[in-house]
Amino acid sequence: MDEFQSGEETAFVVDEVSNIIKEAIEGAIGGNAYQHSKVNQWTTSVVEQTLSQLTKLGKPFKYIVTCVIMQKNGAGLHTASSCFWDNSSDGNCTVRWENKTMYCIVTAFGLAI
Amino acid sequence: MPAGARSVSVSRSNTLHSLQNTRRALPCPAQRQPLAPACLDRSGDRWGATLSMAQRPPALGPGGPAPPRRSSHPALPHGTAEGHPPPLTARRGSLAAPVASRRSSVVLGGGAKRLSNGPWVPGARVSFSGLPLFPPVPEACCQNTYRTQPAPGCRFHAGPAQRVLEATLAARLQGVAYTPGAGRQLAQSLAEQLRGQLKELAPPRYKLVCSVVLGQAGRQGLRVASRALWDPESDTFASATFTNASLFAVATVHGLYYE
Repeated sequence: MDEFQSGEETAFVVDEVSNIIKEAIEGAIGGNAYQHSKVNQWTTSVVEQTLSQLTKLGKPFKYIVTCVIMQKNGAGLHTASSCFWDNSSDGNCTVRWENKTMYCIVTAFGLAI
Repeated sequence: MPAGARSVSVSRSNTLHSLQNTRRALPCPAQRQPLAPACLDRSGDRWGATLSMAQRPPALGPGGPAPPRRSSHPALPHGTAEGHPPPLTARRGSLAAPVASRRSSVVLGGGAKRLSNGPWVPGARVSFSGLPLFPPVPEACCQNTYRTQPAPGCRFHAGPAQRVLEATLAARLQGVAYTPGAGRQLAQSLAEQLRGQLKELAPPRYKLVCSVVLGQAGRQGLRVASRALWDPESDTFASATFTNASLFAVATVHGLYYE
């Protein structure tokens, strides 16, 4: 059956997704300083770029991508997630990125259909 | 007695010993850890998933690449903790050490060379002749319900979910001051509590992803965005925000139908 032969292709591969996220972040906000007027556009761009690259992988997954961009001000930030899913087929990947003026946390969840 | 005959008999006993090692090293299906009841009607499918891992073509050598990671958080080691069989590389590694000290004529490299005479199926006990002692467990998929959409009236609605999120955030965070240590615990416990509550609310065959962003209320700018690739007719999301003098929290839940 195809399920056996494509067992490797239909898994959520963290490293692959992590690279996609890093490239999207670098492309959207790499080298920029925090600007309140542009953060809207940046988050949208990061999320859209990540999602489109994930879609191009062509795997039978539904994806959720969340992005948090916060200005560096000395304030603390915590993110947590809890999922009700199938451990064997679903997965998530979180990338934390920062520069001198802001933090960016992007999480991608992949749920098999 | 010629020395050659003696060396042949010694190597044959090595073969026997190696085969016995092979039998002991392989996990018997009955001895595996019980599967976590994350989705009860999918236990067969998860077993099927582990079978497919074991039946992967033996491209991995003794020092081959590790199996793909599922999560970026190194919380649990792979292997018996999650009900998965140990990776093939580890299994071969455990055999290579005792065998390497023996004669080089006995080779148990990769998965390509097998000393048994007949076809050998991973995960099945084999007799000395190579025939399986009992047939391996067949792949058990989910029973096909021929349903690709949720049943009418059984959708995940955003309204009730949002009310639950708002009520829980207000109840847990009213009058709470932000501290770094407590903030971490609070975010995790909030996420788990929300997942538990929404699990009861969600119809069957829905997967849930709850995320909580909790931070100190300073004068910083912050933006939370999310986007999903899903089926808009059956999947939806809800989110709620709570702020007080010292902290803010944003809770989001996505409900995705499992086809």
